[in-house]
Parts: sequence; C-alpha cells; structure tokens
Amino acid sequence: MVAESQTMNLWELPTRTEAVLVGFAPALAERYRGRLLEFGFHTGERIVCQHQPGFGAPRVYRVSNATYSLDRELALQVLVSVARE
Amino acid sequence: MSRVLLVGTPNSGKTALFNRLTGLNHRVANYPGITVDLSMGRLSTLPEHELVDFPGTYSLRPISEEERIAVDHFAKALDAPDVAHVLCVVDATRLEKSLFFCLQVVRECRQRGKAVTVLANMGDILARHNLAIDARGLAAGIGAPVLVVSARTGEGLPEVLQRLASGITSEASADPIPEPALLAQDDESADQALYAEAHQLAERFGAPADQLLLIQSRLDRFFLGSLSGGLSFSLIMLVLFQSIFTWSAPAMDAVEAAIAGLGSWMLPFLSEGIVRDFTADAIFSGIGAFLVFVPQIFVLTFVIGLLEDSGYLARAALICHKPLRFFGLSGKSFIPMLSGVACAIPAIYAARSIESPRARFLTYLAIPLMPCSARLPVYTLLIAIFIPRETALGGLVGWQGLTLFCVYGLGIVCGLVVAGVVNRVSAGEAQMPFMMELPAYRLPALIPIARKSVQRAQHFVTKAGLVILSVTVIVWVLGYFPNQGADLGASWLGTIGKWIEPVFQPLGLDWRYGVAIVSAFLAREVFVGTLGTIMGIEGAEDNILPLVEQVQASALPLGSGLALLVFFAIALQCISTVAILAREANSWRLAVRMVVAYLCLAWLAAWLTFQIAAAV
Repeated sequence: MVAESQTMNLWELPTRTEAVLVGFAPALAERYRGRLLEFGFHTGERIVCQHQPGFGAPRVYRVSNATYSLDRELALQVLVSVARE
Repeated sequence: MSRVLLVGTPNSGKTALFNRLTGLNHRVANYPGITVDLSMGRLSTLPEHELVDFPGTYSLRPISEEERIAVDHFAKALDAPDVAHVLCVVDATRLEKSLFFCLQVVRECRQRGKAVTVLANMGDILARHNLAIDARGLAAGIGAPVLVVSARTGEGLPEVLQRLASGITSEASADPIPEPALLAQDDESADQALYAEAHQLAERFGAPADQLLLIQSRLDRFFLGSLSGGLSFSLIMLVLFQSIFTWSAPAMDAVEAAIAGLGSWMLPFLSEGIVRDFTADAIFSGIGAFLVFVPQIFVLTFVIGLLEDSGYLARAALICHKPLRFFGLSGKSFIPMLSGVACAIPAIYAARSIESPRARFLTYLAIPLMPCSARLPVYTLLIAIFIPRETALGGLVGWQGLTLFCVYGLGIVCGLVVAGVVNRVSAGEAQMPFMMELPAYRLPALIPIARKSVQRAQHFVTKAGLVILSVTVIVWVLGYFPNQGADLGASWLGTIGKWIEPVFQPLGLDWRYGVAIVSAFLAREVFVGTLGTIMGIEGAEDNILPLVEQVQASALPLGSGLALLVFFAIALQCISTVAILAREANSWRLAVRMVVAYLCLAWLAAWLTFQIAAAV
C-alpha cells in the first residue's frame, strides 16, 4: 500500500493526529517564525494536536517534549503534512 | 565582589534556583514570564559572589519588552569585568525548548571569555519517573559543563557552589574564541544551524518524556474541555473568593477578640484624659480595625500562590484568550489581571510579558480596576455591615462570600469595559497572535507559598500600617481638638469635613465618610482606620466595639453603602500604583489622566447606584 500525504494548515489538523511540519506560509512575520523555530517547530518535526478547546480558543500542540498553545491566526500560517493510507 | 549571572528560558526554574542559592524569597510561579526584572542577592554560602537573576527568554533575539530588557542587560553584563561566571538554566524535562538559547549563551560566553556552566534543572521530576539525561554527552556536545540539579530538592546544588568557589574563572578561556557575536548580528543561516544543533542534542541526550506528557494531557483534557474547562474555571474562581471569607473568618474573629480583650484589659489602667482617649480611639479603634483584615490578605495570597504554582494559570490564560480579545486584550492579559487581585504593582510589571504594545496598554488600563487586596478591608467591612453571615446550599456557599464574588466581578467587568471602549474608540496597530508554552502541572509547594503569604501579610502591615498610623494620629488630633472629643462635629476635623461634604452628599454620605474617603487616597486601607478613629471618638464608650457594629449603629443607608462599594471598586486611589504605571508606560500623562478619569467615573457610578437604590 502506498502512503499518500495531505498538506494542510495546523488549525485544520484533527485532534490526536500526528503530522509532519513542512513549512510556514510566506505571510508569517519573521519574528513569529523565529519564535516558532525556538519552540521547536522545525521542518520535518512531528506535531500532534492534543486539544481543541471550544469556542475558538487557542489549540494545544505537542512538539517533541513540550506543549504549546497557538491561536487560529498563527496556526493557519503553519503548514503540515498528514500521512494518508 | 564578583557577579554570577543566572539566565535561562522562561519557566525553567531560574528564580527557584536563585532563592535556593541566595536564601532569598523572590516570587516564583509555574508559568512563563514571571520574572520581569533583574534580581540580585549574595550566595548564602559564598557571600563574596553576587547572583543576578535575569528574566527568562527563549532567545537572544527579543520579541517582547521583557525579553529586550533581559537581553540588553545580559549583553552589557557579559562585557563587565566583575562578571566571573554564567549559569545557564535549562529544563531537563524539555531540553528542546531550552537548548537553542543555551547554545547561544554558551557561544556568547566563549566569545567574551566568560566561564559558563549549564544547570539541567528539574532533575527530581525525571528521577521520579526513572528517566535521566546524558549530562556527560550533552556537556561534550554543548562545549560546557552540565550539572543535573533540582531547585525543589536542592539536588546538585552543592556541586554548583563548589564549582563557583573553587574555579570561578577556571573555565574561562584566556583567549576568547573568535566566533561572531550573536548579539550583534542577525544571521538567519547561523540561527538555522543552531536550531538544528539544539534539536540533535536534545534527541541524542535528552529524556523521552511521553510519560510526563501523558499525565499533563489527561489533566488538560479536563481543564481545557469545552464544558468541563469553563465549569472548572468558574468553580476555581468562586472557590478563590469564597475562601477569602470562609478560611480567614476564624482568624479574623480571633484578631478582633484579641484587640477588644486587650483594650478592655488595658484601658482601666489608664486614667481619664487624653492618653486614654487616644489609646481607645486611635490605637484600638483605628489601627485595630485595620489589623482585623490581615488574615484575609494571607488567605488571598495563599490561594493565588496555589494557582500560580499548579500550572493552571497558563490554561486559564488560554481559556480566556478569545473573550479577552473581544475587549482588545490578550489571553496573556489574564495573568497580570489576576495578579492585580492581590496587588496592582506586580501586576503592572507582569504586563511586560505581553508582546503586543496595544494589548499591554489596554491591560494597564484594566489592572487598576482589578479588586486588589487593599480594597478588601473596605469591601469586607461594608459587606459585613449589610450582609448577614449566613450560608446556603447546606453551608457550601456563604452569602458574604457570594457578595464579595459579585463585587470583585464588578471591578473585573469595569476593567474589561474600559479596555473595550478605549480599544474601539482609539486607533492602534493590529493584535499580535497568541503563542504560549504550557508548563507541566505540578503539586504546589505549600511551604514556600505559605512563607510568601506571611511576607505579603507582613508587608501589608508594615507598609500600609505606617501610613495608617500616621493618618490615624492626624485624624485623631483633628477630631479630638479643640473640645477634647466632646463634639466631633465641632472639631477641626468636623470643620474640614463639612467643607468637603457637598462632594459626597449626593451619594448619601455625610462628612465622616467624606474624610475617610479623602484619607484613602494615600492608600485604600486607610479608609477603615480613619473611619474606626472617627467612630471611636464619637462613640466615647469604654468598650472597644468592632467597627462593623459602630457603623451599623450609625444607620448608614443601604444605598450609601452600595455607592461606597462602587466608588472604591472604580477609583484609582493608590499613589504607588500611579507611580509604577507612569514608569512602566513611560508616561505621567497617562497615569494622571487615568486617576482623573477613574475618579470621575467612580463618583458618577456611585451616584447612579445611590439613586437607583433610593428609587427601589
């Protein structure tokens, strides 16, 4: 079976689904990109959406051993790829 | 005297280490951004060395005000000849988030010829789960010694002190390594290389923390759930305010009884005259009325300390982000605003961690409206006068606690409304996105929190007590003379009070309350002491009656009591807060405008309240 992948933004990532970070949208300001890199959001890094609190609250993502909360505005600028069998 | 710099990423436990090494008791909490200024203290076992605690930062390239301050000071300190050693703290349970900054620091230190030691903190948490990092391998990879330590248990700290004592400059290279200084350049490719290096090192030498994250994830599922998250947030806030009354009530009763007992025992020994009158009116009625509230300050600080240490506050910031954004604020505004419930001054400092200048400005506007502990004695007094000490729901909810919850809610709502109105009517840059590290949950360390609460209560007594004592003496002298307390209305205080009475008459308050309100502009708590002194002179009884009973006997109308509550909820009456606001916002104009605007708003809202109560 050949594994296909689907690219989406981080906000679209379903809960408890693992994805691989493929990059950032060009519109993302440099300083936020830098901060995300400092947090460990590197290309090729595995990311899991751990929680999606209700009412549009920022979502919780696990990157390596740490968890971070990103709001919609920022998560839309992070591109991930999900394996689809 | 040489200096040792303590740096690290936010929430890596720097300040807890600082407290351990210096024996001091600076503020610590379990969320990022608690240290916003430099702290200094001598090492307790090596007093010839001064330890400097820096605010946490993720990188030497700052994106917020707090980080800019940390990085600027760090850059200057590295060039200072008296800086002998740099201690870089990393979170051993989450190496990835700390190593990028750590590599930057090690590189800067090597470039400037400074000795550096990496402290992998929270080793006790790893040990508890049978995990460990490869400190030796990590040291080889980083190019600096790595010691596994625990600020909580003290593990590894003797080795740190030994290093500082024996070879404080031995690690420094005599000839600085000619690497380009990160602080002076903006090289993306160099950053990329460091990111990759940090990532590799963490993967190779760090501990897999799946087990730790599993526990965190389970708790988050509850505390961040759509329904359970909102309910638990409301419940935690309700318990916070209920506890102020229910937990402190026995201690408050004991203090009140002790003051009354001491007065009844002591006064008969004093002969009739000025000394006896002063002791009864100014000391027992004035100062005593204020001391009754000290247990509440302790309980408030203790409960907030529990929340801070548990890791819950970062989750509360997340839950509140969306609603706060409606008012132009950010989820990160929640933590300074909650700190403002204890005291506005640390809350204003805490607002530095908000990256968005606009959200920070709006947070400054909201903080003085948060119901700080200085308002608590006034609220408690007025609630005790009008609300019976009864409970509902089988003793689970006290009416006094519930009323306090509503009064606190009033201050919070006012803060949000002011921020929202200013956000809509004034132009400004767009909001910045929200990103926040979520710290691990942990059981709060009760002893340090209790120690901090005692300190806060002591600070409340010493700082406000001095002002209250001075004002009480002045008020007593003005109220006692020229007729030796025979007729308060004809005293000097009565004369002054009647000049200002027209301002407060529309609120249904006579000149005695007017004088107490004016005196509260020095500090809000002074209101209680001043009123206690005035009632004491007027009462002229030998028994020291609690202030609540004296005000109840004076038949203060309910509408006026409510107007007083509303006035105190809004008015900005704290000189220290105004000065810190002016400094942090870099604008005296803003601070003065806020004082005037909040004063006018407080009076208008109080007048409206009185009118509505009178009509009903």
